[in-house]
Amino acid sequence: MTTIGIPRALGYHRYGTLWETFFDELDIPFLVSPETNQAIQSQGVRHTVDESCLPLKLYMGHAAHLLDKCDALFVPRLERLGPRDEFCVRFWGLPDTVSATFQKAQLLTYELNSGLPGTHERAFLKLGRTLGKHPITTARAYARAQARQREVDFHRFSYARAELQATAPRILLAANPYITYDPYLGGTVARLIAHLGGVPIFTDAWNRTQCRAQAREISTDLYWTLNREMMGAVHQARSQVDGILLLTAFPCGSDCLANELILRRVNDVPVIQILLDEHQSHEGLTTRIESFMDMLEGRRRIG
Amino acid sequence: MDIGSISTKGVVLDETNHVLADHYLLTQGDPIGATRRLLRELQAQLPAHTHIHAIGTTGSARRLVGAMLGATAIKNEITAHAVGTLSRHPDVRTILEIGGQDSKIILIRGGIVADYAMNTLCAAGTGAFLSAQAGRLGLTVEEMGPVALTSTTPARIAARCTVFAESDLIHKAQGGHRLEDLVAGLVSAVAENYLANVGKGKAITPPIVFQGGVSRNQGVVAAFEHELGCEILTDPAGHLMGAIGAAHLATDSGRLDTPFQFDLAEDAYQTHTNPCTLCPNHCEIVYFYRENICLDHWGNRCNRGGAEGRN
Repeated sequence: MTTIGIPRALGYHRYGTLWETFFDELDIPFLVSPETNQAIQSQGVRHTVDESCLPLKLYMGHAAHLLDKCDALFVPRLERLGPRDEFCVRFWGLPDTVSATFQKAQLLTYELNSGLPGTHERAFLKLGRTLGKHPITTARAYARAQARQREVDFHRFSYARAELQATAPRILLAANPYITYDPYLGGTVARLIAHLGGVPIFTDAWNRTQCRAQAREISTDLYWTLNREMMGAVHQARSQVDGILLLTAFPCGSDCLANELILRRVNDVPVIQILLDEHQSHEGLTTRIESFMDMLEGRRRIG
Repeated sequence: MDIGSISTKGVVLDETNHVLADHYLLTQGDPIGATRRLLRELQAQLPAHTHIHAIGTTGSARRLVGAMLGATAIKNEITAHAVGTLSRHPDVRTILEIGGQDSKIILIRGGIVADYAMNTLCAAGTGAFLSAQAGRLGLTVEEMGPVALTSTTPARIAARCTVFAESDLIHKAQGGHRLEDLVAGLVSAVAENYLANVGKGKAITPPIVFQGGVSRNQGVVAAFEHELGCEILTDPAGHLMGAIGAAHLATDSGRLDTPFQFDLAEDAYQTHTNPCTLCPNHCEIVYFYRENICLDHWGNRCNRGGAEGRN
């Protein structure tokens, strides 16, 4: 029986439950790489060109970690959800980047590219065929996987609703999910906020369809799915949080544009932008977050 | 105490917030040694039997020196600078600050920090940049200001990135631009770069106080006045604002159980770095010892691993 390796990076932080449940339902053994750590980052840096963004470097680190532990790497090609809803080009080219980097690696993939309704399901039916499964079995597995992913998402949404009622300073951590949920990136920042007595709330905890529509309130032209969802969440949350922390990893082209739009157009709540890179020291990060929290505290005192 | 990357500053305030003693020296990559030298100097300026009741630290080595001296307040530079400046300029609305590796802008409204921005983790356009370029031109940092003021036709130099600025600077120098024009170009590039990045989108309204090590450079002050079209205040004690703020924060945070002994700094202090082996993160945990007793440790991403390898 072949084992499938799933890198815990990029798309995993959005579709992880869907993927895991799908393979579970089809009785296909899989292995998810561990949470990002220093060793994975170093491996990723070794396997990517310098100019790559940090999240792609981490992805390659996760892939490298899985290489000799599985028979095939699961590397989907996520292109678009709708006609004006695109993932960043790193997602488009991911299977190519991985196979060019690890030439001996066996890849298992699916493509999300037509932007028409039902694309996701059709992609998974095709994936089932590749895996030698009957279409009805695959369709059932996909339905269960999708339901499970919805449940997990809904749980995250209701958790965030509860956090919004907190009396401690509520900080909206605005970032792409692969940054937010990577304990090495967003996790470090969320821990620092909590350590300083604040409540971190993630932009990935708002209904995604609503977010994509609401993003128009800040920018009508943006077409990157993840940035639009983040922007829509910022718009919906801005009156309910004490501060917004824009978290981005160096160098991210779409964040550069989206965050600049937010910085210019969201003026009713304090916003800070923090740029993550391969830095090993947390001193700069601590200074920035601590001073931001001090400022919010001062503003609350004055009222 | 304000222990920055380039310089270390210290002040002693009395009950009425008057400065009894102050000193400024270069950190030279040794915050513990700098603190020791600074404390000796402060003690020499004070009357005998002065009791120190509270200690505050700020700056990038605040945690290390905070542990060393048993500080009652350990605070980030933004808060310390705002508090320090407000104590001397209660009506200030904008604080421009350029230090060794950080630059920041703080907007004060109604006596509190209303907004601020800081450079991203890159140190372009800060004191470290200026001192590197001064070295290239064969000047000391102190000489740069007066030299810049003598220029009438500053060279245009991009200070967005240290590497770009260096190649710009070399090309202009090789192209025959005069030294004072190069220096004037550099200092106005620092001011322009600051306003275009850190100061972007911020309502910079007077009174404006400019501080941090770079504020001692008259060339940069003149460049800011030119760019903003209004008077820029520099306090003779501008380099001490962080330390003064830390002292105020310390006063508010309570008293030391026993008055501080200056000779505490003469004890043997040591740091020891131990890569944690409990997980693949290999956090570089720094343990800090006084006379072989561990005072504190930091650098670990999680709570595990801290106690291991203490003594």
